[in-house]
Amino acid sequence: MKLRNKLLLLAFVSAAIFTSCKKVLDIEPKQSIDAASALETDQDVNSLVVGAYSVLGGGSLYGTNLLMDADLLGSDGVCTWRGTFQSPRQIAGKAMLRDNADAALIWTEAYKAINMSNIVLNSLDIVKDADLKKQLEGEALFIRGIMHFELVRLYGLPYGAVSGNTQLGVVIKTKPTTTEADAFEKTPRSTVQQVYTQVITDLTKAATLLPEENGVRATKYAALAFLTRVYLQQANYPAALAAANTVIESGYYKMNASVRAVFDNKNTAESIWEIQQNEQNNAGTANNGMATFYASLPGIGRADVRVVASYPDNNYPQGDLRISEWYYIGTGARPGNTYCGKWKSFSQNLPVVRIAEMYLTRAECNLRLSSSVGATPADDLAMVRNTVRTNSTAPASPTLNDVLGERFIELAFEGQRIHDLRRLRLATGSFAWNADKLVMPIPQREIDATSGVLVQNPGY
Amino acid sequence: MRKLLGMTIVFLLLFVGLNAQTKEVTGKVTDESGTPIANASVTVKGTSKGTATKNDGTFSLIVSESTKTLSISALGFESQDISLTGAFITVSLKAGESKRLEEVIVTGYGSKIKKEITSSISKVSSREFSNLPLPSFEQALQGRASGVFINSGSGKLGQALNIRVRGISSISANQQPFVVIDGVPVISQSLGSNTEPDNPLATINPDDIESIEVLKDAASSAIYGSRASNGVLLITTKSGKQGKTKVSAGVFTGWSDPTHKRQFLNAAQYKELFSVAAENVGYVGADEFAAETGTDDWNSNNDVNWSNQAFQKGYVRQYNASATGGDARTKFLVSASYNDQKGIILANRLTRGTFRINIDHTINSIFKFGTNISLNQSDNYSVPSDNAFSNPLQLNAIPPLHPLRDANGKYNLATLYYNNLVEREDNNQTLNKTFRSISNAYAEINFSKTLRFRSQVGIDWNNLQENQFLGRRTLDGAPDGYSYSNQVTANVLTNTNTFNYSNSFGENHVVDALAGIEYQKGQSAGASVTGLAFPNDKFTKIASAAIISDGSSSETGFRFLSYFARANYKFKDRYLLGASFRVDGSSRFGKDNRYGSFPAASIGWIVSEESFMRDIKAISFLKIRSSYGITGNAEIGNFGARSLYDAAAYANISGMVTSQIGDEKLKWENTKQFDIGLDFGLLNNRISGEIDFFTKKTKDLLLNVPTPAVNGYTIITKNVGDMNNHGFEFVVNANILTGAFKWNTSFNISTYKNEVTRLVAPVSPGSRTLGRLAVGAPFGQFYGKKYMGVDPENGDALYMLADGKTTNSYSSAVDTVVGNPNPDFYGGWNNHFSFKSFDLDIQCQFVKGGDLYNIAGFFQSVNGDYFDNQTVDQMNYWKKPGDKTMIPQPRLYDGNGAGKSSRWVQDGSYFRIKSVNFGYNFSRTMLKPLKLESARVYVSASNLFTFTKYTGYDPEVNTLYVGNVNLGHDFYTPPQARTIAVGINIGL
Repeated sequence: MKLRNKLLLLAFVSAAIFTSCKKVLDIEPKQSIDAASALETDQDVNSLVVGAYSVLGGGSLYGTNLLMDADLLGSDGVCTWRGTFQSPRQIAGKAMLRDNADAALIWTEAYKAINMSNIVLNSLDIVKDADLKKQLEGEALFIRGIMHFELVRLYGLPYGAVSGNTQLGVVIKTKPTTTEADAFEKTPRSTVQQVYTQVITDLTKAATLLPEENGVRATKYAALAFLTRVYLQQANYPAALAAANTVIESGYYKMNASVRAVFDNKNTAESIWEIQQNEQNNAGTANNGMATFYASLPGIGRADVRVVASYPDNNYPQGDLRISEWYYIGTGARPGNTYCGKWKSFSQNLPVVRIAEMYLTRAECNLRLSSSVGATPADDLAMVRNTVRTNSTAPASPTLNDVLGERFIELAFEGQRIHDLRRLRLATGSFAWNADKLVMPIPQREIDATSGVLVQNPGY
Repeated sequence: MRKLLGMTIVFLLLFVGLNAQTKEVTGKVTDESGTPIANASVTVKGTSKGTATKNDGTFSLIVSESTKTLSISALGFESQDISLTGAFITVSLKAGESKRLEEVIVTGYGSKIKKEITSSISKVSSREFSNLPLPSFEQALQGRASGVFINSGSGKLGQALNIRVRGISSISANQQPFVVIDGVPVISQSLGSNTEPDNPLATINPDDIESIEVLKDAASSAIYGSRASNGVLLITTKSGKQGKTKVSAGVFTGWSDPTHKRQFLNAAQYKELFSVAAENVGYVGADEFAAETGTDDWNSNNDVNWSNQAFQKGYVRQYNASATGGDARTKFLVSASYNDQKGIILANRLTRGTFRINIDHTINSIFKFGTNISLNQSDNYSVPSDNAFSNPLQLNAIPPLHPLRDANGKYNLATLYYNNLVEREDNNQTLNKTFRSISNAYAEINFSKTLRFRSQVGIDWNNLQENQFLGRRTLDGAPDGYSYSNQVTANVLTNTNTFNYSNSFGENHVVDALAGIEYQKGQSAGASVTGLAFPNDKFTKIASAAIISDGSSSETGFRFLSYFARANYKFKDRYLLGASFRVDGSSRFGKDNRYGSFPAASIGWIVSEESFMRDIKAISFLKIRSSYGITGNAEIGNFGARSLYDAAAYANISGMVTSQIGDEKLKWENTKQFDIGLDFGLLNNRISGEIDFFTKKTKDLLLNVPTPAVNGYTIITKNVGDMNNHGFEFVVNANILTGAFKWNTSFNISTYKNEVTRLVAPVSPGSRTLGRLAVGAPFGQFYGKKYMGVDPENGDALYMLADGKTTNSYSSAVDTVVGNPNPDFYGGWNNHFSFKSFDLDIQCQFVKGGDLYNIAGFFQSVNGDYFDNQTVDQMNYWKKPGDKTMIPQPRLYDGNGAGKSSRWVQDGSYFRIKSVNFGYNFSRTMLKPLKLESARVYVSASNLFTFTKYTGYDPEVNTLYVGNVNLGHDFYTPPQARTIAVGINIGL
């Protein structure tokens, strides 16, 4: 029938319009890409590693919190927190609550970087270029290693606080999360000993895989420099000495003539590894960023971290250039007080490890071991303090205390203080090196999300 | 084609012939003057069997031998029943309103007469809101449509409003109804980049709208499937009418001012309060004022009313013209309008220019096509977010002691808080321009009398251009000027193909059915750029900026592919049965849940048609109906189901980071709704009404489920929450006076009770807000410390302890329920009076319950805790032991009574005379010499009077910057405007 035919035709046509293309409902996001197609080439995996560096440079990690919060934990007699933000206030007062925002952010961002590293390690088969593959594997292990190390230092009692180091450390993650089921997986905390073992494994392997030069990214020597910190925490001085010596003897790094250069300029000879920032991409200019919290300059900084007025004069040698170059009287927010001049610009790079530390580590270890591997402690100390660089002179036969004192003033406000105090078993204020209150709380959200599989630290 | 028609008739005859003996009836329908009425509907009474009149008003219909009565109806005429006496019938219809029960209600993909509807639909037709100065058309629903709760939020023009159909059905997905204009789903969500959403629907000319239908229950809305959980607004624009071309033109102009202004302290009161406040804590008021403000204005003679500086005299002007007409084959409507509203808040202005052409053409008895084309432009000079220092209302915090202008005559910037009046100087401007077209074209094929095919393509094309310039003296423009430009183009293309079938089998069985397929493609793309540093404030465009500080472009989209069907069956003119089914596939859903099914069914029983009811004369109509069905909410974000990577920059190197882990089962939110209702007519339908009860159970609410962060992600979005709403609606309409003096009245009242029944984790109030989500509590319940007044002995603020006793220690007070922002009930009362040439409409609207929390109380009603100017009630502060007052002793900086608490919670009930329209219609004899068909002059008003106990600016308030959980919060939120306008409409 004619009508029926027409009808059929019409139905057929209209049906055909829509069913011909089954993929009509498949559209791809534009600002993001689907995980399924994100990693297909060498470049893709490389991009993910770059992304991991950007996570490390964020305000929750080296961009601010890993440096600033470590200083605030050891702030007694050095600096005070003046700002209105509650989380750093609690940290400076060693009165952290279970929902402390910084404690939650460090934790989540560090594990984000770890997860990205694990994805990279799981995707190495995609990388065709053998050298690149080796480098990316090294970088992923480096990032995974240093993040576990930062976490275990902050969220566990210090190495050596309990015999056998069976105190709880953090969760060791070596598997990537790719599915919803993975995302809900509940993993308990490992012991501090287990975490250190994992960190050393990762960093040692990273040191063998990473190239000696790698642009602004992590190198073999960055991995070794981090290993010196790990070994110092363990009081494994021979290993720390060997690693520090290898870094120094590589010849890639040397002290700048000016103490300001490593902070004012980018990627100077003194720097072993630093966080890259620029005008557009930095940890923050209002609620995050080192300059945001430390600076008191017109239009820059909240002046939240105030240096104790007498600290520079009482701790640096008289006339030491570092007093005038690294400290100033604020002219911006909360003016008229003393502030740290290492962090003055939103867009400055943030040195994480520099060669000065390696000299001081080698000097310390040589003194402790009564050796002079590489150089004498006196020579190493003089690399850091000398008439050209600091307008002061190092003692001719330094004691251990001379070297440790130099370490505190040279690395002040670079996120090292509390970790050095704890490994040296020194108190900060009324808090002993192994005090529960110096350990950050496991974020409450994490305990809730794992239904208690993660156990809270003592004291919370 | 004649063959086809012939064949159809043969079919019809066959159908009928199988059932009964038939006869042919012919006749003619005219108006009272004898002019033929084309397209009048002629049906066998009580069935849908019938025909339409031809151009000459004639008709012919085959009916069964037993048929006794025909029903004749036509748009704009009173319906009439005619007994079959002879073979040729002449009918003359009286002009007027068609009766409510015969009224045609637009339903999804169709229409139906009200009498036969088995679902719950509220209708507001153009007559009810024409000639009112409405900022946007949705406001016409307020107080008029039962079950629709509208809170305009503030008096800002062009701002998004809160529309909730039958309660709140979502937490994180959209809560606003789905909007369909002439069958085209349109963009109703803000496209702009401001903190507070704008309202894209403000670009639509209310005068172009013929009717707004709100689909409330599942039976009516489930045909829209996964987008119907929040109800559906069906907007139908006016279409051309056959007959002599009618031209009408109108103009109105009006003035507006705020519904209410608050009183703040004058200079003398201010000094008194702060002298005491300082003294009570051992300070000197003058010294502290000098230290905090950096001025010595304490000693000046200034007495500036800063709060009133935020307002300006607003106006509204509208010019519109339209022409409609056509013949039997072609009908058209052309309209144009320009509307210009100047808001009551400084710098706020909204202009809207619209153009529309609607054309329908019938080629022959088989083919028909048409198009609706609209082009709109609106310019929105917007007001900053409530919590911005640049919000003019925040001026009320500035002490009256500061001068308005400095020595140079420029606005004084040496004030305690930012004097944002400076943004009214020079070239500072925020202008958001929208260009929009909502258009469609369709074609229809009538295969037979019973089967019709329709294909429609619709597009909503929306371009938003946001431009802002702030000069060097402004807060955000300092030091050298700031300019921002943002472009968003969003469009939605919809193609709908439907088959309609309707037929009757014998006298007793009437069936209509619909089957369709719909494809929708939405896309949105934007680009923005920010420039800083200009040579001077005369340069405002980014081309002149020294620094391009920020720039971005982005794009997103979605698709839907849907199949739907619906069938209605009517037995013996009284038993009604309806069912619908829709399958929605969407790109938004996870790949394991690509398609969702949304069935609904309804039944109705017209009891009054039963023989046992015939004798009950008082009850002229009675219908019981009930429906049940499932709807969804697919406004869940475009890519929520995916695992995604984002780009991330590491200084100058670009990289990639993990950004989201997805649930491949992610889907729409599901709502199961049950409705039972009653439609009644009493005393020959002089009184009519509806009663509805509903329960809505929403499951699979989209929530962020926390995951252990050690796995690299902190949340995953899943369908895990549940929420219930139930309530009732009651509408009664009455023609109270029907003589020369006519009075029609309509009253409606609605309720909803909301309860959150399942969450992953409760959402606690923020640091300044009270709204929370908790299992067992209504959405947005106020939760915090309960303020218990003042200790008469020492003037301490008191709060409630867990045991009900009081304490002056804020921290030991217990957190408890301190209010509910959801109304107990709400509704409207609408009256239409007419006497001779005069007519008067008075529309009232009310809300009972619905607590409000004034966040700004912490700054402005806090007994002089800091130097913000205070509301005058604070002068009643505690002065000496024994004083009984609710205002604690003023203690500067001391926080006495300053904690977030129920101190600033108030009952938000109000009764408002929402709109009034008083008009005079010139008689034909007066108009004849002028060659005019009609002329009407009128005075209209909106928000004329408001009765409330709320002491803030306006009880219809809902600041938007705090997010959707914090309902009923007020934070320097501008009040509504009261507008009075005069206008004239003429018809040619």
